[in-house]
Amino acid sequence: MAADAAVASGVESIAQQTATKAPGSRGLLGWLWSAGLMLTLAFLVLYPVAMLLLGALTNTNPVVDGFGVFDLSVQNFSEVLANPNVHAALINSLVACTGGTALAVIIGLTFSWVVVRTDTPGKGFIAAASMLPLFVPPLVAAVAWSILASPKTGLLNILLNTVGIEWRFNAYTMTGLIVIFGIYYAPYVYMFTASALRNMDPSLEEAAEVSGASAVRTMFTVTFPLIAPAILSGMLLSFIVMLGIYGIPAVLGTPGDIAVLTTYIFKLTAWSPPLYNTAAAVAIILMVVTGFLVWLQHKITSRRSYTTVAGKAFRPAQLKLGPWRYVTLALAIVYLLVVVVLPTLALIVAAFRRFLFIRDLASLFDMRQYGLLHFERLFANPLALRSIWNTMEVGLITAIVGGVVAFAIGYTINRTTLPMRKSIDVISTLPVAIPGLVIGVAYLWAWIGLPGGLYGTIWILALAFIARFMPDTVKALSTSLLQIHRELEEAAWICGKGLLGTIRSIVLPLARPGVIAAMTLLFILAIRELGSSLFLYTSNSMVMAVLLLDYYEGGNLGITAAFSIVQMILLAVLISVANLLSRGGSGDSSGVGRAG
Amino acid sequence: MSANLKVERLRKVFSTGKAAIDDVSFSVPAGDIVVLLGPSGCGKTTTLRCVAGLEHPTSGEISIGPDVVSAPERGILVPPRQRNLGMVFQSYAVWPHMTVHQNVAYPLKTRGTPRGERNGKVADALELVGLSDYASRPVTQLSGGQMQRVALARSLVYQPQILLLDEPLSNLDAKLRLRLRDDLRKIIKKTGVTALYVTHDQAEAVVLGDRIGVMRDGKLLQMAPADELYNRPADLFVASFTGASNLVEGRVMAREGDFGQVDAKSGEKMSVWLPAGVQPGEAVKVAIRPENVRLGTNGAAEPNTFRARVSGTRYQGTQTVYELAMLGATIDALELGTRVRFPIGGEIDVVLPPVQCWAYPAQQTIESE
Ligand SMILES: Nc1ncnc2c1ncn2[C@@H]1O[C@H](COP(=O)(O)OP(=O)(O)O)[C@@H](O)[C@H]1O
Ligand SMILES: [Mg+2]
Repeated sequence: MAADAAVASGVESIAQQTATKAPGSRGLLGWLWSAGLMLTLAFLVLYPVAMLLLGALTNTNPVVDGFGVFDLSVQNFSEVLANPNVHAALINSLVACTGGTALAVIIGLTFSWVVVRTDTPGKGFIAAASMLPLFVPPLVAAVAWSILASPKTGLLNILLNTVGIEWRFNAYTMTGLIVIFGIYYAPYVYMFTASALRNMDPSLEEAAEVSGASAVRTMFTVTFPLIAPAILSGMLLSFIVMLGIYGIPAVLGTPGDIAVLTTYIFKLTAWSPPLYNTAAAVAIILMVVTGFLVWLQHKITSRRSYTTVAGKAFRPAQLKLGPWRYVTLALAIVYLLVVVVLPTLALIVAAFRRFLFIRDLASLFDMRQYGLLHFERLFANPLALRSIWNTMEVGLITAIVGGVVAFAIGYTINRTTLPMRKSIDVISTLPVAIPGLVIGVAYLWAWIGLPGGLYGTIWILALAFIARFMPDTVKALSTSLLQIHRELEEAAWICGKGLLGTIRSIVLPLARPGVIAAMTLLFILAIRELGSSLFLYTSNSMVMAVLLLDYYEGGNLGITAAFSIVQMILLAVLISVANLLSRGGSGDSSGVGRAG
Repeated sequence: MSANLKVERLRKVFSTGKAAIDDVSFSVPAGDIVVLLGPSGCGKTTTLRCVAGLEHPTSGEISIGPDVVSAPERGILVPPRQRNLGMVFQSYAVWPHMTVHQNVAYPLKTRGTPRGERNGKVADALELVGLSDYASRPVTQLSGGQMQRVALARSLVYQPQILLLDEPLSNLDAKLRLRLRDDLRKIIKKTGVTALYVTHDQAEAVVLGDRIGVMRDGKLLQMAPADELYNRPADLFVASFTGASNLVEGRVMAREGDFGQVDAKSGEKMSVWLPAGVQPGEAVKVAIRPENVRLGTNGAAEPNTFRARVSGTRYQGTQTVYELAMLGATIDALELGTRVRFPIGGEIDVVLPPVQCWAYPAQQTIESE
């Protein structure tokens, strides 16, 4: 997740600087307002992170000891840094993320080039296919792929068997992890490189062609060096998201005993007694690494990029591929097949089939084997129904409270001269560098020891989500606020309205589409969030993503698949509603997948 | 080194269906500079890009020297990199990730020129454009004018047969544009390369071109040396585009050789130059440049002397434009000098020299579609 706002800053406009500030009152009321926002942020972000740090620096068990005694020491860190299991997890994380990033770059760059620079037919389709994986929840994708490519019972392997091929797919390997990472996070690279290619003056390439360079030479000496900053940005972003993701390595890594940092942190808290302190220390290491990468990415995107070199009358320079254009089209179709179609089919087969054991191809199409059994069992479980209900409730709270807080922050940052604006801005973007799982651990530390507190309610989940997605929401709202002309607001002031009156009568109505879009986005992100939920749910506050993982780990693929389908349908409905609400707001739909 | 360029019946239809250029033919003798002049959207860039090979013509033929490089009907389409031509783009198109030297050396590298020879040629090219001191600078640190010089050096360094320039000065500020405009002609002439230059700016065209071709809506209307273009425009559009802004409507009464008699709407008779094909009885528009309207007579009885009332003046410092009500129209007359000679409302004699009154068929228009 770390990089959510980094995407926003990279892809969206940088018009922020040009915004003019409102005169805004600097009186007592202004101070109170700012102080209120700071307190809110401290409550949402600073306090949990401070507790996490404190937890990492002590040996107090918050559940047992409460918050009485703290013996500060760096012992946890030194232990963690010397622990071979941590080393293994770190190395696995780096290998998986590096490999995944490399694959994501190859896929993302290829498709962006195909879409922007060639005459391949069906480019609208290819562009859509290149973004589609963002809408597939990572956990669901991983479950689907374990149904497809588990070494013994994977559907693909059964297919290979019937055809008589000895070779087998195995998703439970490092290679499997890398491939799944690569194909599902390629859109992050695609987003950056496609827009960089689109913004590039085509005569830069034509000049090379006229100078005598072949198409391939032009690509490697001119095109790619020119969009290098965008490639690097996309690379870092996908790396950051992979590093913080829990669902995919939990599903694919566990059977093969491949622990990465995120799964290792969770394992620490699942031991008995739970090693909360060690988990906190590892979480902080993850946070520091992520923070560094986010900073690097920010540096790259904020540097003046080559691709905005002056030049008008851009012509879409399209390479005529000849017969090769069907090859590029085929590549896109294969990609869509692999990331969306096959997994969906696998989920459908697994969800509706009584027994997943499939002897041969004929049995796959034997309709007698299919039925609603798994759905019936799923809905017979009160926990499942409760998780759906809880998820909706958490989503709603997150959307409304998060939307309101973000609007207040966005307005204060962009449109007023109130005190402490800068700090509010910085603190509200801080969660960018905190992976979801780390937020979960931090909230755990912040609330578990306090009696009668939030822990165990759905509110702690909602608050964690609000904190986690704060940078995205503020960014999205700032963008829509900046589109409202200053003059409209000033006109209202001149007409004698007060600041609050102006906001109510001018800003809110105009910003409403943006606010609704941001709230819908929050709702969707909250529904699929797994990483931070893991540490914060109890049986009363069970949510869908966690229960889905539970079913998977319990070994019941049928119910898991059925539940995945339920979640996918829910998301599809929500995304369509979101699109209806913010007609034409393409920026919002791309945000749906950013949380990884 | 330089070769002649021949474009025959060139036509390009984009996927939008309308012809961007239609039946364009011209040739450029080796070593000449030809300028394509016309309003925006008339097809200049498309023509140039067809010559470069960046655009594939729909029909027609292009040859450079003895080689046919584009002939779609015969399936001939030589790619740009094999045409041995240089091109300077409107947006400079210098590569921002390279230094000045690297930019200029790039075409030589693609040709496999040995290092020593390459460095010598780059140095020569940079000296030619006056950038010798900037070789090691990143191009992003240069001004627009300097970037365009880099682009010029880059396109000349391999001694191409043809140099193509697409509005190379239009992104520069006015002062720089004048400097580089004069330099450009010197540099091009020094190398002796055949050049095809595209612009919408008349002054640029006149200074740079040995010959100028005026285009409109995808058609080449006239290609001629500048003085011919300004004194014998082939049609009303060329006349008006090159500045003959006064129009008098009338009808041809008689023709004698290249000249003829036109009755203006007001009933007065004018003696005018008649292009071939304009017949007696035809409705015409007579075009006159404001610079060619002479105020006051020198005593002798001259043809085309008319009575006019000064209905307005526009003082422009070193020159004055008089608005004259005459011949049933308002005629602008431009006179150099800082003093306004005639007051508003006064009546004066005005001479319109017949060789500078050109009658064109009235159905011709001056607007580009
Ligand atoms: N790639 C293209 N696709 C479709 N139409 C084009 C393309 N390039 C140019 N045109 C059209 O062709 C006409 C001529 O354009 P152009 O040659 O660029 O004009 P000029 O350079 O004289 O301004 C214009 O009407 C323009 O819209
Ligand atoms: Mg042009």
